[in-house]
Amino acid sequence: MLLWLFLILPAVLAGACLPAPSATVVLRLVAVGGAGWAVLAGVTAWTALASGPIVAGQGWLHLDALSAYHALVLGLVLGASSVYARGYFQAELDKGALPLGAARRLGALWFGAAAAMALVLTCNNLGLMWVGIEATTLLTAFLICVHVTPLSLEAMWKYLVVCSVGVAFAFVGTLLVAASAQRLGLDAAEMLLWTRLRASAAGLAPGSMKLAFLFLLVGYGTKAGLAPLHSWLPDAHSQAPAPVSALFSGFMLNTALYCVLRILPLVEGATGGVGWGRQLLAVLGVVSILVASAFIVFQRDGKRFLAYSSVEHLGIIALGVGLGGAGTFAALWHTLNHSIGKSLAFFSMGRLGQMYGTHDLGALAGAARRSPVWGVGFVAGLLALIGVAPFAVFMSELQILRAGAEARAFVALSLFLIGVGIVFVGAMRHVVGVAWGEETCVPTADRCGAEDRVLVWGALGLLLLLGLWIPEPLRAVLEAAAAVVGGRS
Amino acid sequence: MSHATGVEMVLALLVITNLLLLASSRLRGCIKIGALQGVVIGLLPVLLQGTAGGLRALALTLGSMALKGAVFPWLLLRVQREAGVRREVEPFVGHTLSVLVGVASLMFAIWVDARLALAEPGAVAAPLAIPVGLATILIGLFLIVSRRKAITQVLGYIVVENGIYVIGVALVGEVPMLVELGVLMDIFVAVFIMSIAAYHISREFDHIDVDQLDRLRG
Repeated sequence: MLLWLFLILPAVLAGACLPAPSATVVLRLVAVGGAGWAVLAGVTAWTALASGPIVAGQGWLHLDALSAYHALVLGLVLGASSVYARGYFQAELDKGALPLGAARRLGALWFGAAAAMALVLTCNNLGLMWVGIEATTLLTAFLICVHVTPLSLEAMWKYLVVCSVGVAFAFVGTLLVAASAQRLGLDAAEMLLWTRLRASAAGLAPGSMKLAFLFLLVGYGTKAGLAPLHSWLPDAHSQAPAPVSALFSGFMLNTALYCVLRILPLVEGATGGVGWGRQLLAVLGVVSILVASAFIVFQRDGKRFLAYSSVEHLGIIALGVGLGGAGTFAALWHTLNHSIGKSLAFFSMGRLGQMYGTHDLGALAGAARRSPVWGVGFVAGLLALIGVAPFAVFMSELQILRAGAEARAFVALSLFLIGVGIVFVGAMRHVVGVAWGEETCVPTADRCGAEDRVLVWGALGLLLLLGLWIPEPLRAVLEAAAAVVGGRS
Repeated sequence: MSHATGVEMVLALLVITNLLLLASSRLRGCIKIGALQGVVIGLLPVLLQGTAGGLRALALTLGSMALKGAVFPWLLLRVQREAGVRREVEPFVGHTLSVLVGVASLMFAIWVDARLALAEPGAVAAPLAIPVGLATILIGLFLIVSRRKAITQVLGYIVVENGIYVIGVALVGEVPMLVELGVLMDIFVAVFIMSIAAYHISREFDHIDVDQLDRLRG
């Protein structure tokens, strides 16, 4: 019941946005509905974590520790982004840049995307998971060009083509999973349920399962923005409005990675648990970290900078999972830390962009003095993201390092450190500029309400708190989720 | 006509339509060939499984054929008219070479299929379907990267999906109804949205040459 509500509420909200009488009403609906759904996501996830997996719809919906944890992060990111979106788009509305039609479309697609991501997390069927991922692409495409400009159209076209074709590969992979399960003699309705496949993973045909994993990794890797499949990501993130970028980086990428985490125990079970699939994931992770670090150094556009940082962090998560053992735990923890930090950074960047009329980091010099909320939020968010102690990102990266040392993967570790080091140096330049630089342009007045302060200080507080101390319930959740990835149900 | 020859006919038509798509420069012609391909592969599940799937499977097949044979061409022809483009001028890879690439991908697909032996022997009703489906995917990808017009890229995406459809029918047989429905809907929406996007691009830029969409770099 709870699960159905979790799944259907965003779809209902999406429908409610379409006949809204004015843009202000749409924005209010987005803020209130998003926050309300976040609470519901929290309750649902908590129920699943406290009293075991929730099953509904004759086994077609299944929320276990791994998906419940991801639902928790999704709720957090979506709730915060929705509240933020209201303030952000209100500013656009005041400038007359958001007609009613665009606002209705925005609200409907916003909740539609949430529903698609909720479907991916809750459904038990690998085929439907694919449908959900493809649906997120299609629903979010028009969110990139809320403002139709040549650049946003270009970004949207690349996003559509690259992600649709990439994710099509994942469907070939899904078919191959079904083919490798044929010898189990399951009937059509049960053939793609991951609960069934996981229960008899050792009986899957290893050859086709390996091929399936390759296809799935390429397909979902494209959507998760893992290098070298990330080409759509910087364009889409930089052209989309800030709340949409925050949702993209904060959770949409993780949704795709979640699908890989679901497949991982299956391929490991089929190939005898020697870490074949995990190694591939780790390689992709390291490549992502290095590629992102190479591009990040030259970025002057703040949002492109953050986009490449997402490639880096998704790479770190992939590497952590690839290392296995304690690495999985650290990677899942890193997911939460990155999502909070990245949302905060995009929130601040978006509002600074509105004030200064540009996303050029050079033009934002001295923004921290000019705007004590957004400027400080951006600087602190950036510091947290590049792994400055004692923020939580530093702690989870440290744990991944430790897991790597335990697994004796020293090559991967040194490459990881090189990549993170380059990003650190490249980012510090901008941090110093934005925090203490001489002002080069004069922005319009800073506007921020009480809820904006809550968002910025809340996110920073969470990052600090998690860096100093993991609450016991969170640790238990992470351990349970890591156990699911590790193949124990 | 026995079912086996029917299946082979369908696969042969699939290969021929692929090669025609590679050889043709007129967009209207390409769109119609794509429509024919969609209808032809719709016959595959009926030929392979007969009426065993029941009424629901039949309805789904008919829906898929209507979508690929009528709705997609209609959408694309509209975009083509609005944008006022008739031909694929100067593709990155010439048409003769493209056909050779198509033949090469078919050979490659057959070789890969022989090497991998995906399905257990005897489990697949139409052994040729998997390599032909694989070749169709490769040719669709090639169309996407080697052509300039947005419409041809959408067509390439449809060809990729057709290839996946053939592999799915051959490899798995019946997929749960709900999944198949979801996939069909996703593809429909994807083509729909891409058409709208191409239309917007033609209005904003006065062309639909995707190679000129190159301002976002780095």
